[in-house]
Order: sequence, then C-alpha cells, then structure tokens
Amino acid sequence: MPETAGQTFIHTPTPGLPEFDYIKPASLTAASQFLAEHAGEARPFMGGTDVFVRMRDGFWTEKYIVNVKGLDGMNDVTFDPTTGLTIGASVNMNRLIASLEVKEHYPLLAEAAHTVASYQLRTRATLVGNICNASPAGDTIGACMVLDGTLHIHGVDGMRKEPLSTFFVGPGQTVLKPGDIATAITFPIPPAGYAAKYIKLGRNAIGDLAIVGVTALGFPDRGAPSGYRVRLALASVAPIPLVPTQAEAILAEKPITEATINEAAQAAMDASTPIDDVRGSARYRKLMVKNLTRRAVTQVWEQIRE
Amino acid sequence: MAFHRITLTVNGEIELVDVPSNMTLLQLLRDKLVLTGTKNGCAAGECGACTVILDGEPVNSCMVLAAECDGAQVITVEGLAHDGTLDPVQETIIEQGGVQCGFCTPGILISARALLDRNVDPSDYEIRDALVGNLCRCTGYLRIIDAVREAASRAS
Amino acid sequence: MVSKEMASVKIPDLIGKSVPRLDARDKVTGAARFADDLQFGPGLLYARIKRSPFPHAIIKSIDISKAQALPGVKAVVTGKDFPGFIGLYLLDRHIFCRDRVRYVGDPVAGVAAVSEEIAEKAVELIQVDYEVLEPVLDPEFGASPDAPLVHPDLSEYEVVPFILPRAGTNISNHFKIRKGDADGVWNSGQCAAVVERKYRVPHVQHVPIEPHVAIAQVNEGGTVTLWGSSQSPFAQRNLIAKTLGISQSDMRVIAPYVGGGFGSKAGVSMEALAVAIAMKTKGRPVKLRLTREEEFYTVFVRQGLVAYFKMGCDENGRLLAMENKFYWDGGAYTEYGVNMTRAAGYSSSGPYEVPHVKTDSYCVYTNHPVSGPMRGFGMPEMHAGLEQCIDDLAEAIGIDPAEFRKINCLKTDSILVTGSKMHATGLPQCVQEVIRAIDWGRKEPPSAPHKRRGKGIALMWKAPAMPPNAGSSAWVELNEDATVTLGVGGQEIGQGTFTAMAQMAAAALGVPYDWVRVAAPVDTQYSPYEWQTVASRLTWSMGNAVVNAARDARRQVIELVAEAWDEDPEDLDIVAGEVISYKSEESISLKDIVVYGLPKPNDSGWMGGPVVGRGTFMPTYVTGLDPETGQGERAVVHYTTGAQAVEVEVDMQTGAVEVLRAVAAFDVGKAINPELVKSQMEGGFVQGLSTALFESLQLKDGVLQNPSFVDYRIATSSDAPADIHAIIVEVPQDDGPWGARGIGEHSMVPTIPAIANAIYDAIGVRPGPPPFTAEKVYLAMLDAAIAE
Ligand SMILES: Cc1cc2nc3c(=O)[nH]c(=O)nc-3n(C[C@H](O)[C@H](O)[C@H](O)COP(=O)(O)OP(=O)(O)OC[C@H]3O[C@@H](n4cnc5c(N)ncnc54)[C@H](O)[C@@H]3O)c2cc1C
Ligand code: FES
Ligand code: FES
Repeated sequence: MPETAGQTFIHTPTPGLPEFDYIKPASLTAASQFLAEHAGEARPFMGGTDVFVRMRDGFWTEKYIVNVKGLDGMNDVTFDPTTGLTIGASVNMNRLIASLEVKEHYPLLAEAAHTVASYQLRTRATLVGNICNASPAGDTIGACMVLDGTLHIHGVDGMRKEPLSTFFVGPGQTVLKPGDIATAITFPIPPAGYAAKYIKLGRNAIGDLAIVGVTALGFPDRGAPSGYRVRLALASVAPIPLVPTQAEAILAEKPITEATINEAAQAAMDASTPIDDVRGSARYRKLMVKNLTRRAVTQVWEQIRE
Repeated sequence: MAFHRITLTVNGEIELVDVPSNMTLLQLLRDKLVLTGTKNGCAAGECGACTVILDGEPVNSCMVLAAECDGAQVITVEGLAHDGTLDPVQETIIEQGGVQCGFCTPGILISARALLDRNVDPSDYEIRDALVGNLCRCTGYLRIIDAVREAASRAS
Repeated sequence: MVSKEMASVKIPDLIGKSVPRLDARDKVTGAARFADDLQFGPGLLYARIKRSPFPHAIIKSIDISKAQALPGVKAVVTGKDFPGFIGLYLLDRHIFCRDRVRYVGDPVAGVAAVSEEIAEKAVELIQVDYEVLEPVLDPEFGASPDAPLVHPDLSEYEVVPFILPRAGTNISNHFKIRKGDADGVWNSGQCAAVVERKYRVPHVQHVPIEPHVAIAQVNEGGTVTLWGSSQSPFAQRNLIAKTLGISQSDMRVIAPYVGGGFGSKAGVSMEALAVAIAMKTKGRPVKLRLTREEEFYTVFVRQGLVAYFKMGCDENGRLLAMENKFYWDGGAYTEYGVNMTRAAGYSSSGPYEVPHVKTDSYCVYTNHPVSGPMRGFGMPEMHAGLEQCIDDLAEAIGIDPAEFRKINCLKTDSILVTGSKMHATGLPQCVQEVIRAIDWGRKEPPSAPHKRRGKGIALMWKAPAMPPNAGSSAWVELNEDATVTLGVGGQEIGQGTFTAMAQMAAAALGVPYDWVRVAAPVDTQYSPYEWQTVASRLTWSMGNAVVNAARDARRQVIELVAEAWDEDPEDLDIVAGEVISYKSEESISLKDIVVYGLPKPNDSGWMGGPVVGRGTFMPTYVTGLDPETGQGERAVVHYTTGAQAVEVEVDMQTGAVEVLRAVAAFDVGKAINPELVKSQMEGGFVQGLSTALFESLQLKDGVLQNPSFVDYRIATSSDAPADIHAIIVEVPQDDGPWGARGIGEHSMVPTIPAIANAIYDAIGVRPGPPPFTAEKVYLAMLDAAIAE
C-alpha cells in the first residue's frame, strides 16, 4: 500500500501481486459486457507490463483482471497496399518489430518500439497497451500519432474508431469508457517520400524510460508553402503526448533552413510544459526538446529534401 | 480469489497445477515446481533474473500470470542442458569468466539462448541490446558479451 | 609467516594459473542454491516488517491487536520484546525501534504469518502513533551544535576503543591526522600553488541482484539457526548472540551462495529481524525476504560525503601539505560508518607522499538510511574529490596530471600519512602502465562533430579496514581417494574466493586443483572461523590460513612416509598427488595412505591415520594510533594500490557521457588466478562507472524518491565500455600467500575521479558532484557557455 509521511509519498509495493480474480472471456462481446458490468472494479490487460506493476505498487486495486488477448483477430498484423497497416491489439512489440511489412513501410514503429524496455519485456508489452496506458513517456505513442494511427474500439455498443489526436485526456487518462476494448490500431499508407525518426534520451545508453522523446515525420507536400510538412510528437514533456503545432506550422510555412529548424525547435520547446521528476528537471527537459527536435528534424530533412 | 487448474510443459515435463489468480509464472516455477534456478530480483520486470522462455520467446516470468500459461511450453535454466551436455552458451560463459555471483546468470543464459535462436550471428550491438534487460552487478558485462559471441561462432 | 619462506622457493605452477571457477557449473545449470532457494516445507512462516514513514519521530504507542487477531498471523513483535543493543563497533541500535525512529524504513514491528500476503496485511493493521521530530538531513549541519540530537544517549553506548564518539553531539567518531605542520606551510607561503575544493558524494546503494533473505528458526531449547544471504556468518553469529544474550555456540549461521554482496550483506542488517521474530514462533522457521524497494532504502547504503580539500605543492610540483575535512553522512545508525571515517582519515593523503597533513574526519548521525560498508569502504567517496583536486593542483602549477602523479605517488619506503613507511609497492609501475595503455597525451578525434573527447587518470590506495586482530582459519581433510575437502569460513560472494582457495590448497599440498572441494555452504557449526568476507582480505588472510592448513596436512603425510621409508622428510615431496622421494626415487599415491595410514614393516602394526591439516592466520603487528595526531607505528596490514585511466566522449547537445574505453592497473602482489583478478578489475570498473554516471539515492526530506530499478538506474550491458584493459602488476606482499594481496574493492575506487577528470579534459568544465548525468553535464556546459 502506498503510505505517506506528511506530504511525501513513500513507495512501498507488496512482495507479490494483490488479490484479484483472473478472467478470460471467450469473446469480445462477453469481455466488453463483463468490463462494463464491473465498471471501476475490472481492468483489461494485454501484456500486463503496466497493469502488474501498478497493482503491485498499490495504485490500482481492481478486483478483476481481464485477459483480452487473442480475441477475434487481435493477433494479426496485416498490410494492404491501398488501405495500410493493421496491428492487432495483442501483437507484442517484438512481433511488430520483426514484421516485414512494418520494416518496409513503417520502420518508425519498429524504431520506437525497439526503445521500449528490454527484449524480454517486449515479448509481452504491446503497442496498444502502450497507447491505452497513456503515459506521457510512452515511447511508441509519438510514432503512432505522426503515422496518423486510429484505434479500433469494441465497446458495449459495438465497434467504433478513435483517432489518437483526441484520445489522450491526461496522464494515464483516455477517452475509453468502461467496457471499451481496443482491438487494433490501423495506419493509413504513409505520405509518399516520407522519412521519420524517433530520438529518445534516457539515462542509460538504452533501456531507460524517456527523459525526453522526440518523434518527427516529414514528407514533401506541394500544398505547404515550404513544400514540406513535418509532423512532430513529444514524449515526457507534458501531461499528455504533445504535438507542438506551432513548430509544425513553422516548418510548413517557411523555407526549411537551419534557421527555420531552429525556430521550430524553439517553438517545440516553448510548447512543452514538463515537470521535475527523478529522471530529469523541467529545465533540462525543455532544453532537450529544443536540441533533439532540431536533431530529429534535421535528420529527417536531410532524407526528404531533394 | 479464484484458482485455476492449468497444464503446462516445463523443460519437457508436463505439469498439472492449481494456481491462484494473482500468482506469477515466477512464483509458480519457484514455489510450486521448486525450479529455483529462475531468480527473483525485483518482481517488477526490471532486472531480468526471472527470464524464462515461454512458447519460444524470452519473458520476465514475474510479469506473466501463471493462470495465463495453460497449455504453454516453458524452458528455464534447468532445461538448457541436455543429458549432462551443457548448452554452448553455458559452456562459453564458464570459459570466458562471465559468471561471478551467478544470480543474474540464469536469466542471462536464457536471454542469450533466445537471442541465438533468432539470430545466429549477432553483432556486438545486438548482443548488448538483447541483454539490456538483464542486470548484472558483478561482471561488468564484457565477459558475458564475449561468451555470447563465442557461442555464436561455435554454432556456425 | 607463510610466504617469506615460500617466496624463496619456486612458485608452484598452479599459482598464477587461471583455472576455471569451481562453482561455475552449478551456477550455469541453476543448481547453485541461494538463500531464497532453500526449501523449508509447509511449516515455513513468512515475515514482513512495519517500518517508520518518518525520518525522525518518537514512538508514542504501537497497537498490534488488530494484526494479532488476523487469521494466519502467528506472531507480532515490537521493540518491547528485545531490549538489547546491537552494533559492530558502536552498539547504537535495537533490533526493533523501542522509543524513537531515526530513518524512513526503521523497523518498528514484525509479523510472522502463514503467507507473505497475510503478513503484509497484518503489517497494515499495526497502528503506530508518532510524535514527529525535526530531522537531521545534512552531515555538516549535523556536526554543528545547532543540530537536533539523533542519539541523545550516545555517551552511554558501548564502543570499541579505537572509535571516538563525542557525547552531546551527532558525531559518532572523530578521527584526526596531525602530521608535520600544515598550518605552518600555509602561513610560510612555501607553496607555489594551492587549491581548495569542496566535493559532495551522494548516497548510493549496493544493488546486489539478489535481495537480502534470511530464514531463522529458534528451537525449543533456545538455540538459533539462521540461513541467510550473508557475507559475515561468523560476525552475525557473534553480534546476534550477544544481543540476545545467548552463547555463540547456540547461534548457528548457514550461508549458501550469495548473489552479490558488495558490503551490503556484511555485519548484521535485516537478519536480526528474522531471528527476533522467530523467537516467538515456537520452532517454526520464519523467512524474511526484502522486496527490491526495501532493498533500496532499508539496508545499508554507501554513506554520503561532504569533503573539503586543501592542497599545496612547490614549483616542481612536489606536494607539500594537505588539509582535509570530511563529514560523513553516517545515517541513523553506524554499523560501519565510524570505521570508514577512521579509514578515510588514515588514508587521507591519498596514495601520495605528503610531508604535512592535517585531517579531520567526522562520522555524523543523520536521519538518513543506515551507512554501511560498500566496495571500497569509504575510499571511492574520498578519492572522488581527492583525485579531482590533484588534477586541479597539477593544472595550477602547470604540470601534466599524469606527470604530477608520477612525481608524488607513493613509492616503496615513502613516509605515509600515519608516519610509518610504505611497504614494497608497484604503484609507480601501475601509473606507468595506464599512461602507456591509454596513449596518454594523444587526443583522438571525436566520432561526431557535436561530440568532444577527453582522457582522465586517477590513482588509488586502500588498506583492509578492520580490527587489528581479524583472524582466519582453515582445515584441509584428505578423503579415501585423496580428494581434498577444504574447510573455510569466508564466503563465495561472486569474487571467486572458493576457487582461489582451492588453488592455494592444491598448490601447497601438492595435488591437482580439481581434487579439491570446498566444504560449502559455510556453516558456523562446522566451518572454521573467519572474521568476515569484507575488506578484500580473504586472498591474503584466509589464503594464509589455507596454505598453513595444507602445509600442515602435507607435513603429516611426508613425516608418515619418511618414517615408513626410513628417509629424511627433506628428501620427500608431494607432486600431483604422489609422495615421491628425490633420493630413493620411490613414490606412493596419496590415496593409499591418507585415511588408513601405512602398515609398519613385518606386519607389526600400523602408523599414520586420517590426515587433517589445520591452519590459522591473524595479523599481530597492527598498532594503535595516537588519538590526537593519528600517528603510529603501523596503522594497517598493507595497502593495495593502483591506477585507472579512461577515454570519454561528451555529447555537446545533450551532455551525455560515454566511456569509450578504460585501462586499469593494480598491484595485487601476486595474482593467484589472473583471470579472476582481471574479472574483479572489470566488474569493479563498471560498478564505478555506474556510480559515476547514473547512481544516487535521491533523498528528499529523508524519503527515498527512487527505490526501484526503473528510477535508480545502474549500468546495463549497453553502458559498459567497448574495452577494459586490465593490467596486473605484481610486487609481492611480504606476508601474503606467494605475495598476494586483495583486489576486490580497489577496482572501483579511482573510477569516479578518472571519469570526472576525463570529462574535464574533454570540455574544460567540472560538472559538480557525481553522478555525472547528461543533465548535470549539459547544465554545467550551459553555465560555461559551451553547450550547443
Ligand atoms: C521494467 C519496465 C520497463 C518499461 N519501459 C518502458 C519504456 O522504455 N517505454 C515505454 O513506453 N514503456 C515502458 N514500460 C511500460 C509498458 O511496458 C508499456 O507501456 C507497454 O507498452 C504496455 O503494454 P502492455 O500490453 O503490457 O499493457 P498492459 O499493462 O496490459 O495495459 C496497459 C494499460 O492499457 C489498458 N489496456 C490494455 N489493453 C487494452 C485494450 N485492449 N483495450 C483497452 N485498454 C487496454 C490496461 O487496462 C492498462 O490501463 C515499461 C514497463 C516496465 C515494467
Ligand atoms: S524478477 Fe522479474 S525482472 Fe526482476
Ligand atoms: S554475476 Fe553477480 S549479478 Fe551477474
């Protein structure tokens, strides 16, 4: 149980997981129904790599832990040259990284997923879990956003779609309602001639959570005054995964030069509202947003300029 | 709390066990099946000492519910050697001096075996990347990395 | 003494040979048993501990009634049940707090139940009423008269003679050096350059991958058995027995393989809790296993340090004087802190000859976690500042830092800070070797335009810090087939001591290495006495005992055969398991004689019998030091010395530091097993690197903010440098087995300053206290207007 001394929180997880009932529904309909009927006391899980940690820490105390893996089509990765990519919610990150279609058409997804934790954790962790967990530090969320991902949700009222742009509400909070189960995430065919990059700054060379993460995806676009568009997403610098729209606008409007990139990087920095935590201070985070946005955009720009 | 009757195969042996909902695969292996080679270093997915191969892929067994393992195939460090013949990574980690206290070793060996199963000729970077979830406080890692490289070169 | 004599004979082939570890096969197959792996059957109870959420408070009342009423709970204990004090040098704590809590995590009550879950629930049901007191959160403030007292009863505590607490303060030990006249040097203006610096070193944790585990059982007659992850079975036996008021012989400690110790499993920490709880469970064994989070904040930490250095040299770069002041953050209790304070004092010149030294080293009680020993025993913390200061002084006088170290480093017969003479040392060679191996003075181009490279060097020295009379013992027993069972009380904690001991026993006896088995686990009921597995003392001290035991067995065998063959024992030898005569050229296999003896001629009876050799070792020559001046004839048994150099690259856009390669040279006297020695140098370097770049216990108002591997990062496989070049220097120790001295701890002592100096070389800025995180380095560069 979390305990406090005055204002200070003391981290005292239990040796094992608290008591709960493990539920494995036979169908999506049954799963949604169970979750809706037990609103507030049931939680779906995929890899469980967030769920088990939070339950052991005592932050989450649900009575029912519902395994929603592998229900109707959730286990597949499919690619269609006209409509794009579908990643079933239970596809773990290692499978995603190894997928040839992902490698060929959406290498950014693999690049971002590869920075999550360790190989053995990625055997369990899923992309959809990373998104639904809605941590501002989630490493794959930026990639999913700049690739224009859409979550497919099965709820008590049937299927619906949720674009990521409006999915996140706060740290750990999303628009999902009791009974909602994300079944897949789909991505359209990426823009022609695009290049993308995820830069993660952690404390260790690899394997740490992000102090700051910057995702950039750029592509030629005649409709933009600069001839290009660059989509950006920032991790660990705001209560939700942050899209610095001002920075994107600068890169669309002004001819892309070193100075423009600097200006956009500055705008990204200005848009971020990070906090101090054990990984880094707000001040450093803001400075790194600037430097790493510049680095990511420059690298992308070098690949897409012609 | 609900109990679940599950059947799983561990190191080639079929096991039938009743497990409570909140039991992890790590607890099942250590406390029920007395396969204590798999270690508990954090119970939070962070240290890798509990790594086992589940249906062909390495996992942190502290991050898997036992109840989920009905029908699963599990390989632990106890299952790496066959008829007294060590797995090549077991041999090379001894030769290269990659074992000190030995507490991380079971998890390291499992991660290394899994790496070599999916990549017969890993680069140094790939070896380091595959071991990043296996903390070792004693060796400084270099001899472990040498051992994995050596095991790969022996296999080819 | 063993090796004066031995040094003159030929060193056996086995000594200096890298035989494989004898525990390796068990460790790679999962067969090796650690404390948590032992099986106790369904009678086993599980313990959990109620801990203080406050850094400093008075316990007003404890209500355990709800916990006691919970089904499945078998015992609830509090400080009321155990009045005795416990402590290694200074007896300053109770097993469970009685009237006052002094750090967040201080044990207040303990529960035993039929499952860990029930025990945990019971702990939540215990209600403790506190009156919160003002905490002491900084050692320098803590030493001042304004600080609230953490131990108002300090003057009443029992203490060993060489530790000097100051009643009415928070100072649990004050160690002084007054050598020559440092004040005189400053006042006379003899120095061509003087630098003054202040350094802070944060608390860090040992982070063995195996968390602490203890299982205790108290039988009806009151005898106690403790199974634990322990570096110090004998010290635990002694200290716990004393606290409980039972005989040492009624307290048995069994210590299987230890999954990494680094000091955290030395002395007594959580083990006493398990024993105390087991006293109330009517013979049922009780297991206490710390969670990783508890491992971070409830067991010994490496203490924090605030250090002031003032150093001066003449125009040729010769050190003239040093004035040092150390405030050690000893935490709530001081299991080892008081002696680290002393060790830092008598080593406060660093590995340099300095004619005038004034040092004040204070161990200060604070309301931080309990200070314990950690690999290096104060030396990594002290050298962290000292070796950066040396660099700054070299710069101030305009001499290359490596050259400056060559000029000033200790040589054989140098006068030490305590007034005695340095024994034979290979430190100058170590310096030479690392300078060569790192291509000192050559600057390589960085790997990218936004990066800069630099090289740094640091030296070290360290003595085993222990009571003057810490002893070792061993036995060597020969079996029917002439295999050898070697009994030792030192612990295999990963360093490879069982292997080195088997090697030494085999070499001294004259049998092949693979004939030797170590009697494990160490069990105080059967194993011979060993003070503790600490201080890098086993190869030397326990090694001497083992060699003595093996030579005793050898003597018995040779005397028997000499009598049987009617030869002079001088003409006999044992080689590869055969007794041979150089004179008569006869030979006989050991296995024919070591248990059953030999028949006398003409069927007239038998002679000999089972062969058991015994050996002990205890240094007898360590003297006390004058309490006012710290001067004395011989402060310590010996010093291991060495040097490291590193090459780093700094990212000017993020501040991230990458250690590209490292070289290390240590004078180990004689490497019994060179690969094991190099393994220590590598592993120690990476642990040092980890403390230099990543680690600190982030304490906020006494509460640890990062008690998990996610928040407290240690070096991973991705952080180890591409290459660590380990160089062995061998200048024999006069009383070490074949000249050997220790290496385990030393390998991480110079790493923080070597990396700090390399960062400075790369960017011209010092980023402040370790860890040199990307953030710290970047912000320092920003202040210096060199960041990109
Ligand atoms: C040691 C460790 C290191 C980590 N390192 C990183 C890292 O470097 N970067 C990073 O981004 N993350 C990291 N994580 C966090 C975690 O691994 C990721 O967020 C992961 O992607 C979560 O996926 P999962 O499938 O395990 O999610 P789960 O734990 O199963 O679920 C996460 C959340 O999503 C909800 N959820 C899951 N599935 C569904 C569904 N189908 N429909 C609706 N809601 C659902 C759950 O209820 C829960 O709230 C780390 C975790 C650990 C334990
Ligand atoms: S015990 Fe599972 S990762 Fe540490
Ligand atoms: S060998 Fe001790 S943790 Fe790796």
